[in-house]
Amino acid sequence: MDFLVEGFRRAVQLILSGDADVFGITALSIKIALSSTVLACLVGIPIGFVVGTTRFWGRRAALTVLNTMLAFPTVVVGVVIWGLLTRNGPFGGLGLLYTWWAIVAAEVVLAVPIAAALTAAAVQSIDPRVRRTALTLGAGPWRAQWAVAGEARFALLAAVVVAFGRVLAEVGAAMIVGGNIRNHTRTLTTAVALASSQGDFALAIALGLVLLGLALTVNVLLQLFQGRGHA
Amino acid sequence: MLRARGIEHHYGPRRVLDIDSLDFETGSITAVVGANGSGKSTLLRILAFLEIPTNGSLVLDGKTIRTRADRLAARRTVTLVEQRPFLFSGTVTANMLYGLRARGCRGSEAKRRVAETLQLVGVADLADRDARALSEGEVQKIAVARALTLDPKVLLMDEPTSAADRSSTNRLYQLVGEARDRGVTVVIASHRLEEVYRWSESFVSLEGGRTIPVSPENVFRVEIPAGTGSKEVRLGDLVIHVVTDTTGPATIALPPDDLIVSTGSFSSSARNQFQGRIQRITDDGRGRVTLRIDAGVELVARITPSALAELALSVGSPVVLSIKAMTVRVF
Repeated sequence: MDFLVEGFRRAVQLILSGDADVFGITALSIKIALSSTVLACLVGIPIGFVVGTTRFWGRRAALTVLNTMLAFPTVVVGVVIWGLLTRNGPFGGLGLLYTWWAIVAAEVVLAVPIAAALTAAAVQSIDPRVRRTALTLGAGPWRAQWAVAGEARFALLAAVVVAFGRVLAEVGAAMIVGGNIRNHTRTLTTAVALASSQGDFALAIALGLVLLGLALTVNVLLQLFQGRGHA
Repeated sequence: MLRARGIEHHYGPRRVLDIDSLDFETGSITAVVGANGSGKSTLLRILAFLEIPTNGSLVLDGKTIRTRADRLAARRTVTLVEQRPFLFSGTVTANMLYGLRARGCRGSEAKRRVAETLQLVGVADLADRDARALSEGEVQKIAVARALTLDPKVLLMDEPTSAADRSSTNRLYQLVGEARDRGVTVVIASHRLEEVYRWSESFVSLEGGRTIPVSPENVFRVEIPAGTGSKEVRLGDLVIHVVTDTTGPATIALPPDDLIVSTGSFSSSARNQFQGRIQRITDDGRGRVTLRIDAGVELVARITPSALAELALSVGSPVVLSIKAMTVRVF
């Protein structure tokens, strides 16, 4: 039990002292999470919009596929991306394996279904009168979709936050395609895994606290935004 | 101005509209009446170019609307106030500006038109209010104001006064009348027959998605008791048998052409027989004689000149009016 208390004490010390390792890893994790989330949302939100608002043959199948992809095992994604980026793979020439871009690629694959499925659910739950009203007031199809997005903005923002949380907390794929290389591809989660396997509980707990702090900060910001919107 | 030709509309295998021809002239108010589920709202959504009919065509200003681009252009001259209007989140002014901006009117001109319309509708005090914090009646007024501020060529309204009090209703119809005078084609779907008969020039009555002839005479507001099927409705001293599943306040119509006039009661399947006395006889010279009969309430019946002669009817004659319970229309 004492080692846990001691671990916490040293973790707080590490954070407060501005430990370069802790802050370097945190900065890289934020960079990867933000990049992955932006790219995943740029792809996933439009897909979710199309699946959620338009009627086409195979729509139900598309929704089922998206929902299934939410439970995609991260290590499988890691292995597939590794296979694509390894020297003998189709994209091996790009030299991306074991770079932070490789981690971004894997996280995007994992986060796109989240952004798409949650967007589809968000726009499906919007009152159908929103689009009809926009159209009857003279809006074209794009402006009408924008009106739907406006009404669904809190749910869409929640989709972005969930996608961000997913990529921030992901470890399996990041480990496989990033290699957990110090100062290059070591993220908060891979560093926690390494530190705990080496018995360095203080560092593991310190990084865990930073992860929790980031997740908390993002969710508090979301709550504040939603609260202001509903005020 | 707006013409519908051979409109047929299906939801899956169910046919919800089957209309040969409808014309809505420029600068006119047309009421579309009918019971719930008769196809009024569907017709309005088709006229608003929100739904494409399964068969048939719409002609706006002489141009048949065929393509997506045609429909978008048409929607910028037509607007619809739905039965349960939707206001976007944001202020009332933002809602009012939405349509103007979509139609290319921006800046100070848009703001001027919004302020002017809110003033006209009598809701200027709501301009900065959050649209989501409005009452049902206020939402309806803002939706009407939002439509009027667009100055459309065709204004379609689905039950626009369902949540309005009497003075708001009168004000709304005044504004609609003014729009009509400016050349706007107005189509109003309503079950409040007294209202639409008062304010409209022409009527389209729908039953099961088809147009049926209906006249504004013998229309009464009644309270229909609970239950289904055959019911008795009180109208002054008269008891009228109707067949309806409607309950509560409703409008009934006894079509004058369906009232059978006789000089005494007789055994028949008609559940309604009213005794009365002829007050006035009018012959239109085209084979239709209109009788105004005091039966406790004034009822209008139409017969042929030969029936009038055969029954030897004159002003003051006692008569019996008969009508089947199923023929009494309930709205």
